Amino acid sequence: MISIIGRRASFSGGVHPPQSKHLTADKQIQPGPAVKELAVFLSQHIGAAAQPIVKKGDAVQAGQKIGQCQGFICAPVHAPVAGKVKDIALRSHPVLGRSPAVVIEAESASEPVLPAFSMPQGFDPAKYTPEQTCEAVREAGIVGMGGAGFPTSVKIQPDAKVPKHTLIINGCECEPYITCDYRLMLEWTEQIIAGTRLAQRACGASNVFIAIEDNKPKAIEKMNATLEAMGLAGSITVVPVKTKYPQGGERQLIRAVLNKVVPTGGIPPAIGVVVDNVATAAAIADAVIYGRPLTHRVVTVTGEGIANPGNYYVPLGIAVEALIGHCGGISGQTAKVIMGGPMMGIAIADLSTPISKASGAVTVLTKEQVSAAGLDRRQTPCIRCGRCVQACPEHLNPTRIAHAVKNNLMDVAESYYISACIECGCCSYACPAKIDLTGYIRTGKILRARQKKKMPG
Amino acid sequence: MPQDYAVTFAPHIRRPLSTRRIMLDVIIGLAPALIAAGAFFRIRGLAVVAVCVAWCVATEWVCNRVRKKPNSVGDLSAIVTGIILGLSLPPALPLWAGAIGSVFAVGISKMVFGGLGANIFNPAMAGRLFMTASFGILMTTWTVPATLDATMPTVSPTNAIDARTQATPLAWSKTAIKDKTGAWIYYGRLPLRENLLGEKAGCLGETSIIALLIGGAYLLIRRTITIHIPLAVLTSAFAFAGIAYLLNSEMYVQPFYHLTSGALLFGAFFIATDPVTAPMTIRGQWIFGIIIGVFTMLVRIVGEYPEGVMYAVFLANGVRPLIDRFVKPVPVGGVPHAV
Repeated sequence: MISIIGRRASFSGGVHPPQSKHLTADKQIQPGPAVKELAVFLSQHIGAAAQPIVKKGDAVQAGQKIGQCQGFICAPVHAPVAGKVKDIALRSHPVLGRSPAVVIEAESASEPVLPAFSMPQGFDPAKYTPEQTCEAVREAGIVGMGGAGFPTSVKIQPDAKVPKHTLIINGCECEPYITCDYRLMLEWTEQIIAGTRLAQRACGASNVFIAIEDNKPKAIEKMNATLEAMGLAGSITVVPVKTKYPQGGERQLIRAVLNKVVPTGGIPPAIGVVVDNVATAAAIADAVIYGRPLTHRVVTVTGEGIANPGNYYVPLGIAVEALIGHCGGISGQTAKVIMGGPMMGIAIADLSTPISKASGAVTVLTKEQVSAAGLDRRQTPCIRCGRCVQACPEHLNPTRIAHAVKNNLMDVAESYYISACIECGCCSYACPAKIDLTGYIRTGKILRARQKKKMPG
Repeated sequence: MPQDYAVTFAPHIRRPLSTRRIMLDVIIGLAPALIAAGAFFRIRGLAVVAVCVAWCVATEWVCNRVRKKPNSVGDLSAIVTGIILGLSLPPALPLWAGAIGSVFAVGISKMVFGGLGANIFNPAMAGRLFMTASFGILMTTWTVPATLDATMPTVSPTNAIDARTQATPLAWSKTAIKDKTGAWIYYGRLPLRENLLGEKAGCLGETSIIALLIGGAYLLIRRTITIHIPLAVLTSAFAFAGIAYLLNSEMYVQPFYHLTSGALLFGAFFIATDPVTAPMTIRGQWIFGIIIGVFTMLVRIVGEYPEGVMYAVFLANGVRPLIDRFVKPVPVGGVPHAV
């Protein structure tokens, strides 16, 4: 089921960008800088924004809920530090533009303390009912920490119609440069496994896999050894998957690990599969066992434009510039600051942009890299070479969709299944003409959404 | 520290591959065939190619000037067209004829359509087709390689008959079919060594099988082309010729000789694989290649002319938009119900 002998689990399509993980792969997770002010977004997830329940001038405790759920697909937010609510104001959000955030002035500017997780004596996931776990996960505001930010409680709760039979913990980290998940797998191994077992118990899955790209042999080894030591080697399987981008995309990962296909337009639970990131699993353990809300995360600060790249444990809401400053600042040759990695990350212009639950990295690229990528050159005509078609992990025809959008032919774009695009960026990466295919497709999706709103029914 | 940071869509890194690099690779892939052309048809042969390249590039430059478009000569595609057109011409062709063909190739069949990426037909093949229609005798008069006869006289409309010419192997094959003399005349005249090395009459670039295979292998290793189109062309042509041979081995030559003669190999690796005029999907490329292989053999075995690669490519180019329209890639998750 997992893979044919001698063939590594993988999917068709995809690209092989340079890994560039050497910059931070061996850097242990360190506490981030001490900051005076945090801006905690009310919307750090897919779904409805949280409703603020504090007001300007209120004193807040560390871990206190400051934004509550409104709606089913939503997640609350919490204050990472004790302090005072300075304001509820708009801040630059990488995806949503200007978005409301609770600005907290910390009581004392002190470095965050790395959480000490120790497996409780006689830890048994059976002691926690699925309802209990889902409620704890929901209350802790846990969302997918791999980038998408989908509320985890919605994902892991049991579904009577389509029972969840398989849980895949995603430790692929296929995005170049980023190493936060890798470090977590090495340093917080037990916590990840505890979270995995709780998630398994909650969703009722009988098969559990931890998928790790085979460019991380140490993580695979550590995970296997820890499972062995915990006596879980039989119930949780570590699956080394081929190093290829976007191996960590959940649709691709399900194809690689289970050889199953998620229907176009559907989500993994539709076929009874749940995919959670390793950082999410760790957060689940924290929330269920210790009742700690999600207020901090590990962020990789990396790229050739950073003096001292590394992996840092930081409070949510810390500004990118504070992080960058902590890492020795950026070089004068910096051309791009990216929230996330270079393949799917979002370039930001405002360095006061706060870190949110789904941002695993800040990547700083220099002029040299942007120029090596040919991005400072003119786009040349499409020569219809089909490299984008071959690279597309969803088997679409990116150039046809992109050119349809360019010419405002939305029906043509739809006939080539624009909505099935996962925006992984493989087509743009592979294009010899340097056409911004993914950019056009994303634009097309936005246009399409607007059109639909205008014309109901 | 006020500084502007570029804000663009992801991805922020790109594969270090450009259209120019792809074209450069094609030129490198054509180099062995160029060397073989120089070895067998000497300076006269290379002059034909040089004239074609020069006029192709000049035409592209002039067209861009006229259309007030940025100069696109730097993408090297005009050079590729020039080399392919030149290598597909008879060695002793008058140079002015090559110039006219080049102007048609780039001017009419490429730039009029909108330049690189917008043309329907392979420019080199369109130019050659135009020349075949215009200078029928010149385009079908082949001189023996200079290694066999160093004089290599220039052919002109008036002295075409005087020059020391030689029929191409495919012409023998055609004669065998038409005159019902039998395929045996073919085998005796063409020893394997000369056949593979290229010491035989034919268009400049098509004679040396070894040179073409080296160039094709280079393109495959560099991943400039994929194997699908050449494989589809060659296997379908082989199958067609094989069936004909099995039906009547007296009349039709062995399929192996079909693969090694004429422009089949040159076409399969360098002409049919032109990305602009070939389908984008792998399934489409198989269909496209099979059309070329089958129609080439139809012309060779059933049709009037000895050689049919040019016609087959032209036809397949014309069908290509239909192939791309109907052979769409199917999304991994299946076709969504409500589109």
